[in-house]
Amino acid sequence: CHTSGMLTPNGKEYAQKIPREELTHLILKLLQAWKEPLSHFNQHIEHHQELPDDSLIKAKQISNMVHELKTGVEKSMGIISNSLNGIASSEAAGLSISNEANMMSDSDFIHCFRRDSNKVQSYLKILKCRIMPENSC
Amino acid sequence: IQHSTITTKNIVQLDFCPFLGQSYPGKPKIIRCRSLEKETFSCWWKPGSEGGLPTNYTLFYSKDSEEEIYECPDYETSGPNSCYFDKNHTNPWTTYNITVMATNEIGSNGSDPQYVDVTSIVQPDAPVNISLETKTSASTMYLWAKWSAPLLADVNSNSHVYHYELRLKPEEKEEWETISVGVQTQYKVVGLQAGVKYFVQVRCILDLGEWSEWSSERCIQIPNGESPPEKPTIIKCRSPEKETFTCWWKPGADGGHPTNYTLLYSKEGEEQVYECPDYRTAGPNSCYFDKKHTSFWTIYNITVRAANEMGSNVSDPHYVDVTYIVQPDPPVNVTLELKKPINRKPYLVLTWSPPPLADVRSGWLTLEYELRLKPEEGEEWETIFVGQQTQYKMFSLNPGKKYIVQIHCKPDHHGSWSEWSSEKYIQIPTDFRVKDMVVWIVVGVLSSLICLIMSWTMVLKGYRMIAFILPPVPGPKIKGIDTHLLERGKSEELLSALGCHGFPPTSDCEDLLVEYLEVEDSEDQQLMPSHDSGHPSKNAKLIPRETDSDSGRGSCDSPSLLSEKCRESRALPSTLQTQEVRDIQENKGGKRSWQTQCIASEQKILLLNNESTKSSTWPAAQLPTNQPPMFAYHSTVDAHKITLCTTNVNITPVLVGNEEKHQLQYPVTETLHDDMVKQRQMENLHSTDQTTVQVKQSRPDDKSPFLNPELMDYVEVHKVRHDEEPAVLLKHKETNRKTEKYMVPGTSKEYTKVSTVVDHNILVLMPDSRIQHVPVSQEPAMETSQNLQQGQAEKNMSYCLTVPSECKRETSGSEYMDPSSFMPSFK
Repeated sequence: CHTSGMLTPNGKEYAQKIPREELTHLILKLLQAWKEPLSHFNQHIEHHQELPDDSLIKAKQISNMVHELKTGVEKSMGIISNSLNGIASSEAAGLSISNEANMMSDSDFIHCFRRDSNKVQSYLKILKCRIMPENSC
Repeated sequence: IQHSTITTKNIVQLDFCPFLGQSYPGKPKIIRCRSLEKETFSCWWKPGSEGGLPTNYTLFYSKDSEEEIYECPDYETSGPNSCYFDKNHTNPWTTYNITVMATNEIGSNGSDPQYVDVTSIVQPDAPVNISLETKTSASTMYLWAKWSAPLLADVNSNSHVYHYELRLKPEEKEEWETISVGVQTQYKVVGLQAGVKYFVQVRCILDLGEWSEWSSERCIQIPNGESPPEKPTIIKCRSPEKETFTCWWKPGADGGHPTNYTLLYSKEGEEQVYECPDYRTAGPNSCYFDKKHTSFWTIYNITVRAANEMGSNVSDPHYVDVTYIVQPDPPVNVTLELKKPINRKPYLVLTWSPPPLADVRSGWLTLEYELRLKPEEGEEWETIFVGQQTQYKMFSLNPGKKYIVQIHCKPDHHGSWSEWSSEKYIQIPTDFRVKDMVVWIVVGVLSSLICLIMSWTMVLKGYRMIAFILPPVPGPKIKGIDTHLLERGKSEELLSALGCHGFPPTSDCEDLLVEYLEVEDSEDQQLMPSHDSGHPSKNAKLIPRETDSDSGRGSCDSPSLLSEKCRESRALPSTLQTQEVRDIQENKGGKRSWQTQCIASEQKILLLNNESTKSSTWPAAQLPTNQPPMFAYHSTVDAHKITLCTTNVNITPVLVGNEEKHQLQYPVTETLHDDMVKQRQMENLHSTDQTTVQVKQSRPDDKSPFLNPELMDYVEVHKVRHDEEPAVLLKHKETNRKTEKYMVPGTSKEYTKVSTVVDHNILVLMPDSRIQHVPVSQEPAMETSQNLQQGQAEKNMSYCLTVPSECKRETSGSEYMDPSSFMPSFK
């Protein structure tokens, strides 16, 4: 996976140890890293005749969701200002990363995306329960 | 007797012995002598018969050819009846001459001498202490057999060298495989089949002498082929709380040797292979990865290796990402609470807790719950997805019933459902709502009231009610034929019952009846139907029509017009007929009268008709009735018979006599116009005994002038007689009632046969052959009789009525001949 290079906590304890901001940053970084490859992937599969329409629609939805999630996280964490730097650097990183992503096969792509989205979800949940422990935590 | 024989034998045996049962001993016999090791030997003998007295046995021997006789040195060592020669007394190179002497009080007896050469009697004991073992060396299995030399009493066994032989065989087989072992007391047998049980025996021999007996059998089972273990398989890996995980594997066959299992894994991206950190915690054939060893979002490559002495085998690799193999424990602390809010139905609240290991609080693992519910006796579970909450409110349970509820959970993403929690029983308290009861009571009371009222009304006005509800089915308004009346045969009554009043035309009704006998003559005669004077113009109209060149003749015996049988010569007295016709014509105004001439004509006709079958055609005599019905009668008459020469009215109408039980026989008639009479007549035609009225055409190939109404004449059927000589009697025209029977001049006017029916409306009547011709003298009653001219042709119509006795109509009396059907046929 193109995001394998990123250092992300591999377990609960590690994730709990990381300070909030760093975790948030990490999340955003992940999300950012997928923005470009996703759009590229969508373009790529549009030419696939054998895929059912549902899949194409779903893929588009997912890309949108990722984008919205990113925006949402940013807003909720109030990191818009801070992220300017981060974005710049991450964009640069993202470009190289996305090059790598283009060379993956479709199944690998999906596999990596699945994993990373799970990562993001887990981190977000930890974050949520850290910030707002009342709600179902 | 048997007893006596025995005693006899005994006596014989006791030959030598004057005393009962005593004699000198029998001859002993030396069984064998044997040496175990060439240094000692023993001899055994068998005593002879005892002779009744205690016997002593002594063994004497001499060596070679020496004279000296020695006695056995040792009687004990080798057992009873034996002699043991110890080392000192044994000389292997001498031949012993041994005898055994049996002695008792009376005498003695000696055995045959036995020459014993020690060297030749050497036979060792079998080897002992055989032990068998299977061993594997260099991947081969062999049998390791060990034994010991036979035991010797006092001799130094070391000095003896035994040669051994071993034999073995598989359990199922018969033949032994013998192996010469040599002097070793052990042997390695190879080439044995795995999984087979073998029997082993050993024997030995000294350097001289014989082989010992085979030792007792020893058996050994060769174990199955040993091999490296089979490939194990990894069953599953699970993580209960997304922090640790365990993998289980299933061993294969172990190949006969104890097998070791090792689990090896490597992580994605790394090359290093690690071994399972913990084989114990999770039980046998498992590997437990604790928190330290568990990494998420990395794929583990896990394999299990089985190893034994023969080799090792590795399972297929199993790839695992721990995030996706989470299966939590079931929820715990399932509790129920019954809540009874005010003004509302009570409901049940079910609460539970997540499994203890799952760390839900930090958000690391989020669980979703699902519960299932069923009544205790029920079959199917109702599954309800609850989501992430840990409580559930149940509103819609039936009071009084007992329910079973269970909960399970799974991670919100990527995982599998846990096991169901243990069953929890719910008992819904029955809730008697007062309101409900009142309603039911009221309903019950009301319904019982209604029932009471209904039953009371029923009792009082039962019938009317019933009638109101179930109106009676109206009976038939049409009275059918009364079968009793039919049986009685009173046709008048019967018919009156039917509603046909006055139908059977009695003689009073003559005037209502219009019957015409139309006589048709194809050639040139025409018969003018005579009309009754009293009848109106219809007839008049008819007349001209009816007249044509060929007038019908009233001929008494006209050639048959109808049947082919009755093919007559046309040479009928046409002239005669013509005359008659003319006569008839003259009589136009009045009735048609048959001239008496017809008598003559009859006679002539008689003559003429010699054919067997004659059909005489009668012109339809028109009776003095109103309308000119077109009756066409045809009859086939025998030659002898003359068809009726109808006098005017002398044609006896066939009346349906009421006295007579039967039939109303009316000839089938056709009318020019609708004719009631005819109808009536037609109606009367049905009867129990139906005479078939046949109407035939004189000539079949006629153009049907026969049916020319002009030529028809009609005769009223007077009556139908149905006694022994059934007959249809045609009525004379002018006799109103006077005569019921008319004898046709020359013939009886009884028409008992109908030969045919033509066109459904013309009856050919034929007088009965049996009926004798009435002499003309009887004629006088017939004033006017028309001559029935023999229709030459075709046109002539004769009528005859035949009453075949077989033609009886059933009493059903349901058949009507509808005259209306005949109406239109005449035009």
